[in-house]
Amino acid sequence: MGRPRKVSLTEAIGLINDGDSLTFSGFTIWRRPMAAIMELIRQGKKDLHLIEVNGGTHDDMLIGGGCVKIWESCWSGHELYGKIPGNLSRKFQAGELICEDYSHVQMLYRLVAGAHGLPFMPIFAALGTDILNPEYDMLGKAGLRDGSHPKIPSKKYEMYTESFTGSEVALVPAAQPDWCIAHVQMVGSEGTVRVLGQKYADDEAFKAADKVIVLTEQIVPEEFIRREPERNLIPPYLVDYIVELPWAGHPTGCYGSYEADGEFIKDFYTRSRTQEGFDEWAQEWIFGVKDHEAYLNKLGVSRLETLRASTALGYSQKVKRGSR
Amino acid sequence: MAGNDYAKVGEFKPIDLLAVAAAREVSDGEVVFAGTGLPMLAIMLAQRTNAPNATCIYEAGSVDGRPIDLPTSVGDARCHYQGALASGLWDVFGQLGRGVVDMAFLGGAEIDQYGSVNTTYMGGLPGGKRLTGSGGNADINSLARRTVFIMVQEKRRWVERCSYITSPGWRIPKWPGGEFVHKKEVYNKAFRGGPWAVISDMGVFRFDDEGVIYLDTVHPGFTPEQVRDKCMFKLNIARVSGETKTPTYNDLELLYKVVDPEGIFLS
Repeated sequence: MGRPRKVSLTEAIGLINDGDSLTFSGFTIWRRPMAAIMELIRQGKKDLHLIEVNGGTHDDMLIGGGCVKIWESCWSGHELYGKIPGNLSRKFQAGELICEDYSHVQMLYRLVAGAHGLPFMPIFAALGTDILNPEYDMLGKAGLRDGSHPKIPSKKYEMYTESFTGSEVALVPAAQPDWCIAHVQMVGSEGTVRVLGQKYADDEAFKAADKVIVLTEQIVPEEFIRREPERNLIPPYLVDYIVELPWAGHPTGCYGSYEADGEFIKDFYTRSRTQEGFDEWAQEWIFGVKDHEAYLNKLGVSRLETLRASTALGYSQKVKRGSR
Repeated sequence: MAGNDYAKVGEFKPIDLLAVAAAREVSDGEVVFAGTGLPMLAIMLAQRTNAPNATCIYEAGSVDGRPIDLPTSVGDARCHYQGALASGLWDVFGQLGRGVVDMAFLGGAEIDQYGSVNTTYMGGLPGGKRLTGSGGNADINSLARRTVFIMVQEKRRWVERCSYITSPGWRIPKWPGGEFVHKKEVYNKAFRGGPWAVISDMGVFRFDDEGVIYLDTVHPGFTPEQVRDKCMFKLNIARVSGETKTPTYNDLELLYKVVDPEGIFLS
């Protein structure tokens, strides 16, 4: 374990191998490590296995880029800015992607089990749904639950009658992805992580993963972040790599720093309804820009300033969000 | 006209009636789980009208916020402005599991006569169209005391049995065998309720003792028969109690001037 290393985004993403399993910080279109997602696509990663509490613009983008073989989660889409995950939906229908569905609670508890070193967690949530229908055990049907894949459990779930109260519960297997890639507001110079606003399922994602890459809006002196340890989420020894990269969550929103860029996400969704449209979009915003700095320059100062959060409210009131 | 008078047909939009009818399902003092979209309008309106002491929890981890700007989704920073807590999924879904949540608003692409909904594969597999997936829908419909669905009234979406059951209604399969039984037989000691009402753009629906949906009130401008024609199953219209009450002028003022002045959902 030891102390985390500060690296460039290119170096950090270069450590990820084809076929690795990934999980991320954030929630739907909020605080996703988008610069890392774009770099994964730029580096041409293949056959990734996403294991997430929920998806969003980031996983749909990665899927559009042809980087993903297995999606295990409970939801993907773009919230108000795109009602279905266009790339995920298309790639699934074309037979190019395996989608293993769980519910929110089931995925959360799978990562909790992973984070606590337990083999499974018991739950009542989502009994009596097709999520538990054996016909929809997609990894099983693909022959991937044969024990030869260390990150794929031998069963999707198991029904169990416990002897304390005689209740029938579903046991969901632990998830321990190879990597957690997170984006946060603040990291201390030695690696202590602070998340502002809602924590979503970050705690579980960080701790369930074998290795952690943290992108951060800023690195601050360790002495500063340790003045209020009660506000911190993760100690340095649970972080492996730190990348200081302001605006790395764009186009998703980052509490206290910037708003979700709805217009950008809507444009992505509209264009990514076809593979040709996605490819053109990726040419413009991923392959056509050299790095994150070039991406920000292309977005331009006035767009970023509109998105910048008010320090009083934690979000921006300058963005036009509706029709009035 | 006074603020508490009911607006006439033509003075409000169908979406206004959806939001208002949903808000009226909240009882004062309840703890409410709400999702993105119309549910946000409904809970924020309810807190300013019939349920000033209702508490709102959003599933991304905001508890009892007092937003001054309408959030666009549950992960939005606006959700927890002046909140009691900005926590996370482990906290709020834990509270749901513990039985703290009185009622919840949900949606779906397809609904069946038992109040199960589909948000995963429209048409099931093989061949169905991939949608977003469950999110918290399945969990919330499982474990909240009452759930209220807001749905579009299209015939293909109102079916005898969902082509994929994402979220469990009153009659559901018991896995791994799959026999179709009452929700009580699946949840046993964890059973505490289920679908309570469905609000569409044509009417308000409730569920009988067997867990089968019936039409309770029809929105002004529609007949019960027209609503039945928009269902794939034979909808019970024998228990219709009258017309849905329209929004009051005060409701409309609050919706357009206070809750959604930017025109995010009420364009």
